[in-house]
Amino acid sequence: MFYAPKNALFRRVSRRKFLELGGGVATALGVGSIAVGLNSTIFRSPVQAQSSDAAKWKQYDGSKLVFMSENTPPSFAIRDNLQAFYDLTGIEVEILTDDLPVVQQKVGIDLRGGNADFHLNYVQDKPIGSPFADFYADLTQYTGDDTLPQDPEGYGDDAWFENFLTACGVYYEPGRIVAFPYDCAVACTFYRQDLFEQLSKDFEAEYGYRMEFTDDTTWQNVQDFAAFFKKVREGGRDDIPYGYGQHQGSFAWTTQLDIQRMLFANGQWTEFDVDDKLGAKEPGPTKWGDEQSVLIMQKYKDQADVSHPDNLANGTLELNTVYQAGDIAMQVQYHEFAASIEDENTSRAAGGKTAYAACPKGDPEWIVGDGQAVNGCNCGIGGIGINAAASEDLKRAAYIFAQWAVSKDTQLHVLKELGGTPTRKSVLEVEEVAAARNRPTSMPNALTFEAVYDKGIRDPNFVLGPKIPEANEYHNIILTEVQRCVSGETSAEEACEEIRWQVDDMHDL
Amino acid sequence: MADTSSSTVELDGTADLASVMRDGRRTINYDPPHLNPVPSRQYYFYLMLPAIIILACITIYPFFWLIYMSLHKVDIGGAGDVWNDFKNWTRLTRDSKFQDGWWLLLKYSAMCMFMEVGLGVLLAVILNNSRAEKILVTIFLMPMMMAPVIAGLVWYYLYNGTFGWYHWLLESAGILGETSILGGTSTAMIGIVIVDVWQWTPLITLITLAGLKRVPRDQLEANMVDGAGPVRNFFQISLPNLYPFLLIAILLRFMDNFRFIDAILVLTGGGPANSTKILPTYLFDVSFQFFKLGRGAAIALTLLVVTIILGLILVRVFDSPASKTGQTQAGN
Repeated sequence: MFYAPKNALFRRVSRRKFLELGGGVATALGVGSIAVGLNSTIFRSPVQAQSSDAAKWKQYDGSKLVFMSENTPPSFAIRDNLQAFYDLTGIEVEILTDDLPVVQQKVGIDLRGGNADFHLNYVQDKPIGSPFADFYADLTQYTGDDTLPQDPEGYGDDAWFENFLTACGVYYEPGRIVAFPYDCAVACTFYRQDLFEQLSKDFEAEYGYRMEFTDDTTWQNVQDFAAFFKKVREGGRDDIPYGYGQHQGSFAWTTQLDIQRMLFANGQWTEFDVDDKLGAKEPGPTKWGDEQSVLIMQKYKDQADVSHPDNLANGTLELNTVYQAGDIAMQVQYHEFAASIEDENTSRAAGGKTAYAACPKGDPEWIVGDGQAVNGCNCGIGGIGINAAASEDLKRAAYIFAQWAVSKDTQLHVLKELGGTPTRKSVLEVEEVAAARNRPTSMPNALTFEAVYDKGIRDPNFVLGPKIPEANEYHNIILTEVQRCVSGETSAEEACEEIRWQVDDMHDL
Repeated sequence: MADTSSSTVELDGTADLASVMRDGRRTINYDPPHLNPVPSRQYYFYLMLPAIIILACITIYPFFWLIYMSLHKVDIGGAGDVWNDFKNWTRLTRDSKFQDGWWLLLKYSAMCMFMEVGLGVLLAVILNNSRAEKILVTIFLMPMMMAPVIAGLVWYYLYNGTFGWYHWLLESAGILGETSILGGTSTAMIGIVIVDVWQWTPLITLITLAGLKRVPRDQLEANMVDGAGPVRNFFQISLPNLYPFLLIAILLRFMDNFRFIDAILVLTGGGPANSTKILPTYLFDVSFQFFKLGRGAAIALTLLVVTIILGLILVRVFDSPASKTGQTQAGN
């Protein structure tokens, strides 16, 4: 069938020779990739406080660093712009990106194992910062070091948006900073303005108030909206989507955040009696199981009942896809997703159909006792931290990158390129960013800035916790029990009691 | 005539055989030279020593380390390991996720096994000696060549409630409502079983097909002469001959189901509401999400012990007289 030459190469090479060659090549590739790919290198040209700025930036010229990060826009944009950093410093930085749970596992093993394969880490506040805070270098030892280049805006609380530095950088003890705010995902409401306008009259006729989003729209209102959309759809209007979708799926952390927003909005309920922003290594007994938590669990289940039927399968990313596909009319989503919603090539909700508002407010009737109703808003603040196990010179070189990566210029570049989420206040003061808050805009994420930066992240709306070392196990407990309740396996009382038992057991109480 | 009274001759390896034969001596006691003396047992031990050391490093040492970890609160890179009074073990007795994990694992394994063996044998019988056997076997083997995590991703997209093609198909057929197969606590398990069946039925088919090739034709023909049709022939002749092959297939799949979590992690992560959190998935969570390595070690040890016990039971069944009958028949 096929012509095989008599003296073909494969006939001249014996099996033994072939195996020898193959083994040799594999070994060489293995050793080569270990040597080239994984190893860091460090070169130092000593500088003094009086040295020029250029010399300070260049003091680690020829060095190589590895940064393990989540696959978020800033990391992609910075990776595309690494040449600028290399030209400035001569430091080569390899940015590895992956899904957050994978990043958490990889950096967890690296940090807890005392290695420093990843000199720089993406320190997402609760999933990574809370369990591994002790393994990061204290950045305050470098912020005042005048032999290192420093950001003219500084690194104090005032340089960042309210609560950001504490959220991702300070754990369990004040004064020690383990990460600078690098990016953020703050929750706000995305809703289909076009559909709201279309159905508002019918809704008003039935419920007696207008279907619209304001800062005073409550969770009860959202439930009414969702119930109305569902009723219209089930009445035969296939062109009308379901009203709402929750964050469920398999990403435990975002389910915890989803129910936490509702809990905090109604009386500023938090899980433990500790400083919510600082967290605690030993937080004591949890408040789960009390009357307020049971009431909100029931309300959350009621909301699930009027949400999209595939609610339990939709994690944060899937939920956004459902919204993009035009299958729901509202979602409380992280503002970094606005860019994907406004992309007319991939989204049916683009082209001015979507409007953005702060997270819904608590309802006085949902509050047990005399707590305050607020627009409960939470977030994931991703920091950039330095592995404490790295050598002193590597840490200093890593610091140069960290402070460059969170500088105003870099954040502005990221915002323009890939729809980043700034953490420095000064970025919002740039004229073109201020203009981008209104349509038409070249920076779609800026459409959310009013709901997020002007309202959501500010006290008294902002909730962060719980910052506890067992945060990931805690999220997992919440995910399981919330889903069991939502799917009808357990009642709200049983779910809250089960959470209380498991969380206290986790803390050996 | 030559003298034949002497019937034996001693050969020392240098004697001329032709002259011996010529002399008419009939019995030859030949003592060959010991060029390769029989090696001692010690010699074999030294030969195996490097392999034994490597094996010890990669299996025996971790095994004992696992036991050590299960008895401590393990803190790699931190303050060190602390003896915790069997807490990792006592905790398992009240850990509902651990207990549910076992139940789900057994359920998942049983469902996969029954479907894979049933379908695998059926496919093998259909394929055996068919005209397109080679090309069809090649096509059927393709899922098996895929990395489980990739298979998981492919099915994740097919099942997706928003854009998944299978979801659309099942919904259009009225089998599913708007809730996707992975979004329901009662259907998610079926979803992950289907993926396993899709990927690993070909292995059963392949092994069964090999078994069918060894079924003696004379037995089949004799049975047909006795009036047996194809179905009776299969149950009376082919199936008993397949017995040892099926046991190997079951053993392999059983071991795999106890350790493969790639596709499940991608498809559901163990949800919704832990409805697919089989024990290995929970073990992964405890060890690498919560970093409770001591508790993870205790779970892993229970998994190991049960796997060994069930493996031994299967091997015993394999050695049973019924199995041997099958082997004998297959050997014929």
